[in-house]
Amino acid sequence: MVQVLVVEDDPSIRRALMRSLGELGHAVSSAPDGMTGLREAIEGRPDIVVLDLGLPDLDGTELLRMLRAVSQVPVIVATARDDDRSVVRALDAGADDYVPKPFSATALDARIRAVLRRTSTNETDAALVVGDLVVDVRSRTVAIAGEPVELSPREFDLLAYLAARPGQVVSKRELLTEVWRQPYGGADKTVDVHLSWLRRKLGESAHEPRYLQSIRGVGVKLVEPSG
Amino acid sequence: MRRQLLITVAAATLLVLLAFVIPLILLVKSSAADRAVSEATVGVQPLAAVVGVVDAATLELTVSQVESVVAGRVTVFLGDGSVIGAAAPRTPSVDLAATGRAFTADLPDGGREILIPVSGRPDGPAVVRATVPRSALTEGVRESWMVIVALALALFGLSLLLADRLARSYLGPVHGLTETATRLGAGDLSARLDPAGPPEIAAAGRAVNHLAVRIRELLAAEREAVADLSHRLRTPVTALRLDVEGLRDPGERDRLSEDLAELSRAVDQVIGEARRPVREGVLAACDASRVVRDRVAFWQVLAEDTDRVLTIALTGERLPVRLASADLADVVDALLGNVFAHTPDGTPLAVSLRARPGGGALLVVEDAGPGWPSSDVLNRGRSTVGSTGLGLDIARRGAEASGGRLRLVTPDSGGARVEIDLGPPY
Repeated sequence: MVQVLVVEDDPSIRRALMRSLGELGHAVSSAPDGMTGLREAIEGRPDIVVLDLGLPDLDGTELLRMLRAVSQVPVIVATARDDDRSVVRALDAGADDYVPKPFSATALDARIRAVLRRTSTNETDAALVVGDLVVDVRSRTVAIAGEPVELSPREFDLLAYLAARPGQVVSKRELLTEVWRQPYGGADKTVDVHLSWLRRKLGESAHEPRYLQSIRGVGVKLVEPSG
Repeated sequence: MRRQLLITVAAATLLVLLAFVIPLILLVKSSAADRAVSEATVGVQPLAAVVGVVDAATLELTVSQVESVVAGRVTVFLGDGSVIGAAAPRTPSVDLAATGRAFTADLPDGGREILIPVSGRPDGPAVVRATVPRSALTEGVRESWMVIVALALALFGLSLLLADRLARSYLGPVHGLTETATRLGAGDLSARLDPAGPPEIAAAGRAVNHLAVRIRELLAAEREAVADLSHRLRTPVTALRLDVEGLRDPGERDRLSEDLAELSRAVDQVIGEARRPVREGVLAACDASRVVRDRVAFWQVLAEDTDRVLTIALTGERLPVRLASADLADVVDALLGNVFAHTPDGTPLAVSLRARPGGGALLVVEDAGPGWPSSDVLNRGRSTVGSTGLGLDIARRGAEASGGRLRLVTPDSGGARVEIDLGPPY
């Protein structure tokens, strides 16, 4: 059972998260402000901290820096500030991941598990390997048969998400929600155009797919090329 | 302004100089003539004194002596009609002088004659006549005039030089003021100037600096306000989402989840609109040609993967429009995304961009697909083909933010066309 500390000033979110994450099998404790959260994180020794950036007594980024000075506990930042500047500041301050509001308990649970998986493995295990394709999550580099592949940040996130689920069909709705962290609009072609670019950079096309296989009407999966 | 100041000073100086120089020139000329006449008069006065008491031989000798000290000719008309000295006809002026009046008169050659009556001779009144040649009347006048004109020109030049210096002392700070204001207007909020020049212009410079600081403060406050708005709106939506997720009834959960997704999109849109001033800064503008070219190139790969021919027609020139590049990119992405979403694979599509006569640009995205499904596709959430209508809504808001508008057109050849007028930058 994973010990999760939720630092969140909004009582309704705190209550709902304790219930939802509890139902998902986590042991959840909570703190309503920054200083209580810092004390709980140090004394309670949770496995992971979900930290809201908009706290009443202390800026969440500042709290993160203070926490990092004394603890290496994984931290997922939950923030309503989804602008790049705030996200970069939080990641630079030591956050392991971030989840923009509004988020669902299942999405947060998936991130908790992903972060714990990543932080519990050693350096070499951070690389996802599918055939000749190697996706190194820590250094954010990709190579095919040893040849580096240049990807944009979004393309890398997309490939890393698929590479973490080799052979599994992932829907475009899931990709938009989990990689773009946006609600699905029904007719959004953003995922498709990024998949097209990813195909180009992996040296394939929709007509001659190798790693990226589209399942019409369902989604896409990353597979080891046959032959 | 510098030119106008110079012209004004030149005109004023010229008027003042003319008002003084013209009377001075006339005065110099008159003084020279008076001086010559006075000298001649003084020269012949001794002769007039002796005409009445000496004989003709002595008078002849005296006339020749006087003539040597005056510039002109000296003649004595005696009462008996004889003439001593320089030969000269007896004119009506001489006759008039013989009546006892002394005077001077102009000569036809420009010179003057001095006529002095002398009485007491037994043969009747005599008249002493001395001429003053024109050259004596104007002696030294040309040189004096040249000095006066030279001084006037020097004063005129000096006034222009001082006016130019004055103009520079005003215009230097004004240029700095203009440059700083232009940079601020272009969005460079770090632009500041060193307040200099006359007190009024220095005060204006300080005001511009203060304005720049205030703009920065207001933008920072706006950024904070938007961040706070995002927090205040998204936090309750998160709580609601978590609660909905915890509902036991799957039907109710799905229904509320759909409503919540719609609410989230509405919140995102409100926050996006509130962020516009922060995103755009002071001036929202971009080169539409570059943005459209980049976005079409981005979508080209999907066109190839879906067997579509995507053509682009650009004029190649810069087309500045009143929209931040990120917002215009959103507009193009929304329109192209719509075509890909609502037309079958293989449907050709075309993008064109050209300048509008009044500035700005006209962006046209058209396809050869099935056309518009209904007239209310622009209304968000009312699309009948499974989308939310957000694409066209984004495009419409982008067009209106730029001062333009969006039009949906059904071409005669079929398909659908979106025309977007993008306004020119301020």
